[in-house]
Amino acid sequence: MLLLSYLRMKLLTHNMLTSHVKGVTKGYPLLIKATEVKLTDVDFNSEFVSRMIPKIEWSVLVEAADTLGHLNDLPRDLPPDYESSEDFLRKVHHVLLEVEVLEGNLKCPESGREFPITKGVPNMLLNEDEV
Amino acid sequence: MRDRRNRMENEAIHLEKKHVHSVYEKTAPYLSDLRCKAWPRVRQFLLEQEPGSLIADIGCGTGKYLDVNGQIYNLGCDYCSPLAEVARKNGHEVLVCDNLCLPFRDQIFNAVISIGVIHHFSMKERRIRAIREMARTMVPGGLIMIYVWALEQKHRRFEKQDVFVPWNKALCSRNNSTSSENSNKHSPGYIDLNPMLYSKDYRMDDNLRQENTAKRSYSAGNYVSVGRCCLKIPEEHENKFYSSFGKSLRSWFFSKSFDESSLKKHMERVRPLKNSDGWVENTVLVQPSRHCSIDLGHTGSLLNGQVYEDDDVFVETTNKEESLSIKNEQYMPTILGANNLNSVSNRIFLRTSTLDSTDSFLDAINADAEPLVNTKDFMRYYHVFRDGELSQLIEENVAELSIVSSCFDHGNWCVIARKIT
Repeated sequence: MLLLSYLRMKLLTHNMLTSHVKGVTKGYPLLIKATEVKLTDVDFNSEFVSRMIPKIEWSVLVEAADTLGHLNDLPRDLPPDYESSEDFLRKVHHVLLEVEVLEGNLKCPESGREFPITKGVPNMLLNEDEV
Repeated sequence: MRDRRNRMENEAIHLEKKHVHSVYEKTAPYLSDLRCKAWPRVRQFLLEQEPGSLIADIGCGTGKYLDVNGQIYNLGCDYCSPLAEVARKNGHEVLVCDNLCLPFRDQIFNAVISIGVIHHFSMKERRIRAIREMARTMVPGGLIMIYVWALEQKHRRFEKQDVFVPWNKALCSRNNSTSSENSNKHSPGYIDLNPMLYSKDYRMDDNLRQENTAKRSYSAGNYVSVGRCCLKIPEEHENKFYSSFGKSLRSWFFSKSFDESSLKKHMERVRPLKNSDGWVENTVLVQPSRHCSIDLGHTGSLLNGQVYEDDDVFVETTNKEESLSIKNEQYMPTILGANNLNSVSNRIFLRTSTLDSTDSFLDAINADAEPLVNTKDFMRYYHVFRDGELSQLIEENVAELSIVSSCFDHGNWCVIARKIT
């Protein structure tokens, strides 16, 4: 569905998102409930991926990928010499950048509040009483 | 005291909702067509980031900075859903959120840009909060670049710091690789603004015409990719709209004089505005900037061909008594807009002397106030910054940031700061 290929949220983005609903202390990570997931092609850049890995929460990425059914054989633990393994980097690349959520929502793990994802754009605005 | 603060905050939220968020929502279709130029300094800042960096553009709009550097991961955020959607359609990673409550973990971004955003916050405290919230999401050592509209412009100066700026639709060169004669071929209700600029009501010198043509061809290619969104105006009003818009456009740039009888007539129609507690100074209505503003990019240069000296800044009267007691340097200048644009003639604008405003107390702009030049829905609120104000704001209130550099760029104050803790 090429037409819709631009409308998506990547797992790299999800990795950074947290809930700031008032009173919530553990708003991370958000649980993904995806009703529509797409795979896309993104040019592989090993340096980019390798530099990105230390910036993300690895276990959250693994869990998110698993939830979407795209974990494949990505290891749950980060191998120590990942920079030198192109094979590994490609797998990470795929999960970070090529698995995309079109429709669904992100759920705060503590309050249960759901943030919708519409046409690939998460809406994280809080209502007045939630701020 | 707390109640007063809460009231002020509520007023601020209300004002921003009305004169920032809803304006952007309504004008998003225009902005999607207008490919604003990316500021070179911002581009440079982005290109200097290390490959593999995580960057956030807070208030990204249509996402013009999100593809400057392909070696970094660019995440765009905007409060305005329609704008975010445009950015998304352009292939960018975006989300909708509030600058004051960013949905990110602490310390994740290597760099943040905030270009033409925090000047839309109507309270100093909210501007501080916005900066602090962005700082929270930055890794130590990370850089933030902030651009805000400057009080001091190249050939003029805003008279006040809290202003409403009409959004000038004519400055959007919508569509058009076709000539103006072909505009009839568009679907009913489609507004092609370019022919209006050439109407006999509207003078334009050759330089400007050429530049406008060049601008149209530049935007034509981009236009196709973002899709069409037409302003729906009933056909019977279209002709009126066209001719009166031309007139109103001109009146934005030229002052007219008033005679006593028309003055009296207008005074009678002025309605008092509601005053709310706590708001001190009047917010000022200004003409569209003749220079490059944040949003207009280099389309501002379209105005360079204009021959006009006046750049009056007007303040609305708050009640009849006040308007009647005009003295000395105050006078009754222009009526904005022409006959066919309703309600403008009900407005009186006073020219005032410069009043210094170091704080951002807001005017009580009545929700019921008459529309102005048919732009009631298109008045954007800005707090324009003085020289040094942004740096001072950060130095005094955001301990986690340390100023790296500061400059004036195209009518904006630009500050770069580093996260130190």
